[in-house]
Amino acid sequence: MKTYMPSADVSTGLVLFPAFDWCISPSHPEREERLLYTKDQLIEEGLEDVPGIHFFNPELATDLDVERVHFCVPSARKLLTNSHYISTGGTIRAARAVMEKEVERSFAVVRPPGHHAMQTVFGDRGFCIVNIESVMVEYIRRHYGIRKIAIVDTDCHHGDGTQDIFYNDPDTLFISIHQDGRTLYPGTGHVYENGGPSAIGATVNIPLPPGTSEKGFDMVMERVVMPVLEEFQPELIINSAGQDNHYTDPITNMNFTAQGYARLTRQLKPDICVLEGGYSIEGALPYTNLGIVLSLAGMDTSHVLEPGYDPEDFRQNHRINNSIETSCNEALEMYRKRHQFAEKFKGQENVVERKQIFYDTTGFQVNQTRVYHLCPRCAGYTQLLAEGLDQHLHGFSIPFNACPSCQQKARDGFAKTKKERGIRLVLQDRVRDLVDEK
Amino acid sequence: MIIGIDVGGTHADGVLLDNGVVKRKKKVAVEARPLEDTLIALLDTLLPDERSRLKKIQLSTTLCTNALLTGDLARVGMFIEAGPGMNPSFLQCGDYVHYLNGSIDHRGIEQKAPDLSQLNEIMEEWHAEGVDSVGIVTKFSHRNSRHEKIVGEKALDIFSHISLGHQLSGLPNFPRRVYTTWLNSSLKKVFSQFKKGIETGLKKHDISCPIFLLKADGGTMPFAAAGVSPCQTIHSGPSASVMGCLALHDNGADDIILLDIGGTTTDIALFSEGIPLLEPYGVTIGGRPTLIRALYTRSVPIGGDSTISRHADGYTIGPRKAGTAMGFGGSTPTPTDAMITLGYMEDGDATAARRGMQMLDDSCSAEETAEKILKVFCERIHDTVTTMVDTLFSRPVFTVADLLEREKLEPNKLMVIGGPALALKEMLGQTFSLPCTVPDDFEVANAIGAARARQTVQLSLYCDTELNRLSIPELSIEEAPGRNFGLDDARTRLIEAVEDIASKQAINAPYTIDIVEKFESSIVRGFNSTGKILSLKAQLRPGLVEE
Repeated sequence: MKTYMPSADVSTGLVLFPAFDWCISPSHPEREERLLYTKDQLIEEGLEDVPGIHFFNPELATDLDVERVHFCVPSARKLLTNSHYISTGGTIRAARAVMEKEVERSFAVVRPPGHHAMQTVFGDRGFCIVNIESVMVEYIRRHYGIRKIAIVDTDCHHGDGTQDIFYNDPDTLFISIHQDGRTLYPGTGHVYENGGPSAIGATVNIPLPPGTSEKGFDMVMERVVMPVLEEFQPELIINSAGQDNHYTDPITNMNFTAQGYARLTRQLKPDICVLEGGYSIEGALPYTNLGIVLSLAGMDTSHVLEPGYDPEDFRQNHRINNSIETSCNEALEMYRKRHQFAEKFKGQENVVERKQIFYDTTGFQVNQTRVYHLCPRCAGYTQLLAEGLDQHLHGFSIPFNACPSCQQKARDGFAKTKKERGIRLVLQDRVRDLVDEK
Repeated sequence: MIIGIDVGGTHADGVLLDNGVVKRKKKVAVEARPLEDTLIALLDTLLPDERSRLKKIQLSTTLCTNALLTGDLARVGMFIEAGPGMNPSFLQCGDYVHYLNGSIDHRGIEQKAPDLSQLNEIMEEWHAEGVDSVGIVTKFSHRNSRHEKIVGEKALDIFSHISLGHQLSGLPNFPRRVYTTWLNSSLKKVFSQFKKGIETGLKKHDISCPIFLLKADGGTMPFAAAGVSPCQTIHSGPSASVMGCLALHDNGADDIILLDIGGTTTDIALFSEGIPLLEPYGVTIGGRPTLIRALYTRSVPIGGDSTISRHADGYTIGPRKAGTAMGFGGSTPTPTDAMITLGYMEDGDATAARRGMQMLDDSCSAEETAEKILKVFCERIHDTVTTMVDTLFSRPVFTVADLLEREKLEPNKLMVIGGPALALKEMLGQTFSLPCTVPDDFEVANAIGAARARQTVQLSLYCDTELNRLSIPELSIEEAPGRNFGLDDARTRLIEAVEDIASKQAINAPYTIDIVEKFESSIVRGFNSTGKILSLKAQLRPGLVEE
């Protein structure tokens, strides 16, 4: 039979949920209008009629889905709105579509985003309360038994939340490409942040200078991202597909394009993409999102061009080229020497990490102490103490890959700890898949 | 009094209704002669004695459907402006296509004016090669139709027929808009000949009442409007049967499954609270997705005369036609033979039918085989209905409220029409675990449906107060609403537009205007609210005319 629509070479699922009736506040960048034009573009293109492209509605994530990853203070119910449960549920739906083989790849175009939400959550950071791709990753592990997962964060802001959550997990490779922290929120993501004591090298940061364009991203992909992925051999690749590297984005200073995003996606071949930031809602998102969808589906992206796009406008100067090259070399060097760095933690029983976490949306600080209990057989377990806004948390976290002895130690630790008034005492047990609270 | 005529593949049925009661009915074969001659001849037999009491005539016509099937389409020229997005080379619209290099973006803002310098030359060239109908479509023309209009004006002096994409539907979906416009353009000539033929015939018979044509969405439109958008008459067959069933069995606000079981196909439609459900965008015609508003129907290729084949896991019915049932003198067994065997049908030779069952399986009784076959028959329909209900539930939604509030359709009644309807009534009821009814008079259901269908109209309004622009694409309305225009104003403006059509088309009250979609979003630039985007859709609710 004659076909009148182009078809997807790679079947692709799309969870498109603009949540037109939710915003942080009416004039905040994370507002109702944010995905309006994206939705209009994707629908007008006729993607719903393309054989091989399937639309899925999001589902609602459960509290357990969220608390499998986060320690929420005072609680998930009190911090999250329906929209958060839906955007998180959107990533879960996208993951399920791939894991159940309904489609080969998928893309959750949902909001609000999540990659600034850390292991402990006291409120909204960088427009994020729940780390939607991290919740998805642990959902996948829980329900489909996948161990090695790579998350490649291409949002312009450093994915500090995702980094924090998986910092000591050697089975999650986290690579972040972002505008240099010295010039942009959240200020982190330096090359030397390379993973916790049990997972040195499983965090790779590639900070880039303002003005980085197509050529720069090509270089990062070719020299760092693809070789590191090749070495890590993940079972699944996830892309935190923020789109604020775009040359029209109002809150960043990069020079990336829809063609660039399409090419990056074609090269990375992610199994699942999750939209993160991107606030050039008219000039960028409709085109970058379309470029990513078509790339995932293995379709022609040559006509996905912003109005007035001219490749000549996006040439990088020498200074930027050199700076990117240096960044690539440094990141690669950190990765190559990971075993050397890991040496210094050998034989240690625990490592203490102290952190001050700033919540920018309402403006308060949380002081946190994280104790990594190390183990020669596994990555160990983690103990957390955090306080902010006059609220306290004492948490124990058993990762999915903890050995039986570490599991027991954490459970004993939780059992022995006396509940004190005003402190939320929580055991997050990913092995038994439960969250216990005293 | 109303005359309703439904034209099918082989027959045309007509009824004369007086206050909903069938006064006359007539069936004629559709012959090869022009359809308009058949229709006029049929009409002649239905006319009431008191001519002045005839209020209107409503027709469903297969004219356009047949023209598509036989390829009897006019040569069409297409001007297409795709702008940024998917590579438009997949669009198949014949040999006369010119891509305009302009672009209009998602907000309806002109990003680039198209180069029109070559246009006249191209148009003249096409015209010289026999193109007399053109279609003009741009991406996002439902937001801003300016480029379509500019090109349309240039075409005015050269071509007899011009179709502009934005006038055919206010919905998004560019490929569908292109195919709808192409279809419409290719049907204009054949339709205008038909219209002329009918008008001449009516004049001859001294009939002056208004004529309406059935559309695919279960409603009708005036003959004159059909001249502008003949594509709306495609696929109007299901409308006639669906509306006919509604007329024959007024269930009020039930959620109904309607089955029309024929010789080789079974058509399925769904009602929610007594209102027939529609496709989200439009019907797909010969593989081409369109924006032609249509009832949500599915066709299963099984019916009373389908083939039956036996294999290790049981039986498969259809998709081919086996011919006459053995119970009626045929040589291969059909589902009809299974019905005769079980005594569900009074007519037919039971011995011959039983022999058919034995031919399929001689290791058990004819009744057992017949039972198995009809079970497969009913299950197959049931599976398709389940898929339809699931598909309906999984249509994309975009707001938190819609996602949380959506409910799955839970049909509470089954209605069956068509030849095998009575025979299968009980078994279908069991398969679906629902009360099952077969309306009386169902053989003229289609003609009654054609007679009693209401006029339907759908209009969309899109307003961007920051740009101070409002458009109602289907009517080519573009206005400057002012910066303070709000959702309530938009609603009022849209209802006014619908009422305006109603009065122009002499639609009698009472009719119901539904606001079927309503959307509002603030436009924020640099932390300030600078305007609003408002988007609404309204319709004249489909339903039945009470005389």
